Amino acid sequence: MSDQKQKIEIGDGAAIPDPEDKGLISAWWIALIGTVSLLIILPLLKPDPYARILSFVPDGILVTFKVTIASISLALVIGLLTGLGRLSKNRFINLVASLYVEIVRGVPLLVQLFYIYFALGRIVRVPDIVAAVIAMAFCYGAYMGEVFRAGIKSIDHGQTEASLSLGFNRRQTMAYVVLPQAWRTILPPVGNEFIALLKDTSLVSILAVADILRRGREYASESFNYFETYTMIALIYLLITLVLSRLIANMEHRLSHYERR
Amino acid sequence: MNAADPIIKIRHINKYFGSFKALDDVSLDVNLGEKVVVLGPSGSGKSTLLRTINRLETISSGSIIVDGHDLYDPDEDINRIRMELGMVFQNFNLFKHKTVLENLTLAPIKLKKMEKGRAEAMAYELLDKVGIRDRANHYPIQLSGGQQQRVAIARALAMEPKIMLFDEPTSALDPEMIGEVLEVMITLAREGMTMVVVTHEMGFAREVADQVVFMDGGAIVEEASPDSFFDHPVHARTRLFLDQIL
Repeated sequence: MSDQKQKIEIGDGAAIPDPEDKGLISAWWIALIGTVSLLIILPLLKPDPYARILSFVPDGILVTFKVTIASISLALVIGLLTGLGRLSKNRFINLVASLYVEIVRGVPLLVQLFYIYFALGRIVRVPDIVAAVIAMAFCYGAYMGEVFRAGIKSIDHGQTEASLSLGFNRRQTMAYVVLPQAWRTILPPVGNEFIALLKDTSLVSILAVADILRRGREYASESFNYFETYTMIALIYLLITLVLSRLIANMEHRLSHYERR
Repeated sequence: MNAADPIIKIRHINKYFGSFKALDDVSLDVNLGEKVVVLGPSGSGKSTLLRTINRLETISSGSIIVDGHDLYDPDEDINRIRMELGMVFQNFNLFKHKTVLENLTLAPIKLKKMEKGRAEAMAYELLDKVGIRDRANHYPIQLSGGQQQRVAIARALAMEPKIMLFDEPTSALDPEMIGEVLEVMITLAREGMTMVVVTHEMGFAREVADQVVFMDGGAIVEEASPDSFFDHPVHARTRLFLDQIL
């Protein structure tokens, strides 16, 4: 039996490197070495302003990570529920899940951020960072839902039948048999979404959340070193996404252990 | 339930796929310990019939009673009934993300709340029985088709079912692996298991079956003992089928 590895390509995340590709001359390595070199050489050659930028901005890295981790965690939960909802035979649940996906996909993320932050903020006051996380998770939950749906559908129906025939009910079948296998198919696109989300958190700098980009803007508007500041910011984002994409690739490789003969 | 009652009672079932009639007024009794082999050309409804017995396939009308439980009684728990019905599939359907041992222990641990050590001891016994103990820690993809199917039989047996259903268990196998699977099934039959087997293996049918059922066009055409079925088939369609296959 041929078990073709299924890949779902959704999203606009960084390219996940192929773990089999061990050569030194790959796009990933060139980008990483270039980024790290610039991040070291520029502050050494021209401490003012590069070294100053590097000491000012990293406060924002923690905020960016916090927003990213909180948003992706929430988005995964929403995504799982949405994916299951979209596959549900219950018409009402199916409709609600589909409607949610349609709405989110049709409204730009920035508009959703403004809507949740300013419009809903007038009705319920929540801390800035919480509003940002809710908005990000609300948006990415819909995309994640589609990833989960595709992942679950990619599992051979025979697996479900075998599980049911042993006496498992539908929920147990999903939990013990389908989802653990779907997870492997889902991981690459989830990794993509994770990286895309990390990049999109830069949008929350528009709100009063002091992430990497906002810290950079604060520095630039005081020092007028726009070119230098945004160069460093771009390099910091690039370094983070490069490292993350490699971590995800390794994780993916490890998760596929049962496929190796 | 009366002891003499058949353990599977199928009464006048009909099944439609859209407007196509897959099962046409089928009735069948299987007694405790009996081995029934269902034969027929492809598309005759034999697999569909087998799959209705554990409700993987629903029926449009009629009734199916397994071990005294009506499959379509809303008060019955289908999952409990399925625990009594082991099933072996054409494509094995082993859980790909679990090792051989875990394939056997998953259901007993989760559904019967069996202690892990006991479940594993039982699993090893079953693996001995199907001759595959040395592969306990392999993943299904690392096994040959014949080995996978033997594991699948052991997995079904791990729930200690009263009845075993086999849906063309050797059809997806390379010819040299058919024997090892049939051997396990013959052993099981000798131990007195109640079995319903859909197959194209005529040798197996002749050796093991108490009752041979021949289906065509969604209906049961002929029911007989293997000797009279193979040596003196009554119906023209049965004779045609046997001529083509033997």
